[in-house]
Amino acid sequence: MKASLGRRVATYSLAALIVISTTLPLAWMLISGFKGRNEVLRTPFQFFPDVWMWQNYAAILQDPAFLQSMALTFAGALLFTLLSLVVNSIAAYAFARLDFRGKRFWWVYCITPMFIPGMAILLTSYVVVSNLGMLNTLAVLIIPGAASAVQMFFIRQFYLNTPLAIEEAALIDGAGRWRIFWSIFLPQSQGVFVVVGVGSFLAYWNAYVWPILTIQDPGLQQIMQYIAGFRSERGNEWGLLMAGSTLAALPTILLVLIFQRYIVNGVRLAGMK
Amino acid sequence: MTMSPQSTNRLATAASVALEPETTAPARKRRRGVGRLSTHVMDNRTAYVMIAPMVVLLGIFVWWPLLYSFYLSTFEISFYEEPVFVGLQFYGYVLEDPDFWHSIGIGATYVLYTVPAIMIIAFLVASFIRTVGRKVAGLLKTTVYVPTVVSAVITSVVFVFMYRADGGLINWLIGFVGLGPFAFLSDPELALPAISVPGIWLAFGITTLIMLAGMYDIPQSYYEAAQLEGANFFQRTWFITIPLMKNVLLYLLVTATIAGMQQFELPLIMTQGGPTNSTMTPNLFIFNQFKDPTPYATSFSLTAALILFFVLGGISMLIFRLIRSDKAIDA
Repeated sequence: MKASLGRRVATYSLAALIVISTTLPLAWMLISGFKGRNEVLRTPFQFFPDVWMWQNYAAILQDPAFLQSMALTFAGALLFTLLSLVVNSIAAYAFARLDFRGKRFWWVYCITPMFIPGMAILLTSYVVVSNLGMLNTLAVLIIPGAASAVQMFFIRQFYLNTPLAIEEAALIDGAGRWRIFWSIFLPQSQGVFVVVGVGSFLAYWNAYVWPILTIQDPGLQQIMQYIAGFRSERGNEWGLLMAGSTLAALPTILLVLIFQRYIVNGVRLAGMK
Repeated sequence: MTMSPQSTNRLATAASVALEPETTAPARKRRRGVGRLSTHVMDNRTAYVMIAPMVVLLGIFVWWPLLYSFYLSTFEISFYEEPVFVGLQFYGYVLEDPDFWHSIGIGATYVLYTVPAIMIIAFLVASFIRTVGRKVAGLLKTTVYVPTVVSAVITSVVFVFMYRADGGLINWLIGFVGLGPFAFLSDPELALPAISVPGIWLAFGITTLIMLAGMYDIPQSYYEAAQLEGANFFQRTWFITIPLMKNVLLYLLVTATIAGMQQFELPLIMTQGGPTNSTMTPNLFIFNQFKDPTPYATSFSLTAALILFFVLGGISMLIFRLIRSDKAIDA
């Protein structure tokens, strides 16, 4: 009894230590957002503010550029997620379930980009999108990255594991492939779509280098551009910057909390196959 | 997005990590199954329509830029003159350039600082999560996953703030053990280790989850048997967990190393490669060359990117093949 109590205390303390050390940077960002200009860099150091104030959060929320970049990034991320789900899932279905001439070639063609690092094609991608007249449009952020080898691969893995029998029955009943995809595969793809979709959303939301290369128009600025720009322009207003960073990180963190079960299971299921 | 390294889809990459080694065997079986079904039904047209969007997008935004990079790397490009074909000359220039090799050294050092730490921390945390009750495990899994979704930009900004000599959290914390204050990011000796900390923070969580997935795959009965024989935690780890997770661990090691070599957002935002180039990772070096206005910098950086990344890409492809074939034999 005594030993088990000691063990439990040890377990909980270790768990608490992991939680605290993992979340410390985020907690610090949140707390610093509540500190006024005189307090945020105060010496001697003080962890919590004397006065908790909302001014920073209120001020950043009143900055039209901040709100606009949040809204634009959010809209862009949704469109991006939607587009990549469509493109990658139909390709995944074809590769998992259909037989066609040249399949092996197209498979290698679609899967190799997984191994091509972004930097190797960054500059020439820029040349391509500028020739296509896509610079300073939201399209340049949404379209080029929508086809993703990794995501297609992941969805295909899932489709490979769907039993053949249902599909055969549907084929015999005369349903076409699109019909089968739409009414058999899509409805059961919820879990995998959440995992892959969250991934797309995060990739778009957190992108920085591609937007700074392709978007110069301040009206189309993305949220990470805004944060980085704020730091270089008004680098001494740490309270304000921390408040802005907190708000900019919030959607991604909320997404994880909302879909945590799917995500953790997604990783786990993937490992179990 | 495919072409911007920072936006590599961490989540899906992570998930496929665990997937990757196990695909071949079932995939082949399945393909044969589909083949049998489709002796009557060759779905050529439908299939082409279904893969068309993906094929076209990858063609325009990945394959074409890649071939174009190759092509351009054999030309001398300057803003003032027509491009001149120079063959593989730039490959020689890059390989002779001390700054290029310096950046490779910085990248390797960064890998040395981060990868072992990520692997060890993730392994310990995963081992711990496996032993705790369901509720605590659930909480921990979500908690360790959170840093993975925070952007490198925000992480950089927060860590710059935490590293400050005045009012910085980290100097306050190390003050308790009588150290500091240090100006971490402006000291050439300390800047790279200082950048490694957020690097570790961003990556250890997802690594933990993937390791954990691997650990759940190991039958509990092995541990029970070992426990009956009197094996302690370290023996169980050494003789059961590590050998059975060889593929997962190898995969994580390789991906972490390759990702580490490519790190550049953290130094880009935190130090701009300084002080005195002490954080000039290969990608950052190449990125700066892109924007360098001197003639031929474009060709130079393109070539450097190609050299570096075909080496890294080649290594990772090779390792994936090894892991997969190994697994196929197992199964």
